[in-house]
Amino acid sequence: LFLPSFIWAQQNKLIVSAPAAPVELSRGSKISIPVKVSTLPGFHVNSDKPRGEFLIPFSLSWQQSGLKSQRITYPAAETIKVGNDDLSVFTGTFNVTTEFVASSDAPAGPATLTGKVHYQACNNQMCFRPATAEVSVPVVIR
Amino acid sequence: MSSDTLSVEVTLKRFILGATTIIVAFLSASCASKPPIHEERASAVDKHQDRKAAPDFTLKDASGNEVKLSDLKGQAVLLNFWATWCGPCGLEIPWFIEFQQQFKSRGLEIVGVAMDTEGWSVIKPYVAAHKMNYRVLLGDDPVSQLYGGVDSLPTSFLIDRKGRIAFVHVGLAGKNEYAKEIQGLLDEKQGGIITRTALDNVVPALLHLGPTK
Repeated sequence: LFLPSFIWAQQNKLIVSAPAAPVELSRGSKISIPVKVSTLPGFHVNSDKPRGEFLIPFSLSWQQSGLKSQRITYPAAETIKVGNDDLSVFTGTFNVTTEFVASSDAPAGPATLTGKVHYQACNNQMCFRPATAEVSVPVVIR
Repeated sequence: MSSDTLSVEVTLKRFILGATTIIVAFLSASCASKPPIHEERASAVDKHQDRKAAPDFTLKDASGNEVKLSDLKGQAVLLNFWATWCGPCGLEIPWFIEFQQQFKSRGLEIVGVAMDTEGWSVIKPYVAAHKMNYRVLLGDDPVSQLYGGVDSLPTSFLIDRKGRIAFVHVGLAGKNEYAKEIQGLLDEKQGGIITRTALDNVVPALLHLGPTK
């Protein structure tokens, strides 16, 4: 189950959701947590590695917590053409997966991972201001 | 059915038809009279008396000089809200550079209002890289609110020599469309009348500007 996380930012061009049920893991273990992102039809967001120095990359970052984010994996980008420019973008629905590790001395019990998705959405005609969407994931460390 | 009954029924039907027509016309007029500015793809105010004054503002250029929109009265102004991260904006900029060369001597002033929150640290390199030859100002939220919020970029306003908004483009517009509109506004100096043939592709609409709620 994914919990849509109220992300009606940036004129509702993006929906971000994360697992709603608590994610359980043991101290010293790893877990991969997906964040599901959907752009509205006709819209795209720059990929995490946009072509063009002035373009704003898609990014997911996590606040410090009992879990350490080790690696964030973004999907393969698409290339679209706007005017004469080739753009590296994400469209449709995709997952951004983060590998977390619970240290051996992580405090046991429930916790919440809080992340931020920073993005900038466009269609072929116009762009919308950069925006940040928050996402939270309940976890239980045993 | 008697003739009296028939007459009453016909009268009633005519009344209902008339009332419905009036209600529909009223609702249509109500809806049409206040199009949210951000929902307009392209609109024009082709009747001079319907044009609204462009909200005045003062913003700074890269050198820190203040520029007041109302000081440009007497010239036609292409007021373009844009940002360095906006791809479609980048498609229009070469056109504006060309317009600046082509129409400046006839009284066109192009003003680019950059909405980058990072400020001049990103705008200056972009202006240099793209050889932008027209005035660029650093925008802010209060000014964008004056122009309906400017939720999407590019958004451009073509302002006549009397400081009134004649055309609005939300999103990427056509180069030829811009050129025709600019020429029409510049021609107003002489005749005061826009040539309709130059404006065939625009949608007449009223503009209602003001802070967004």
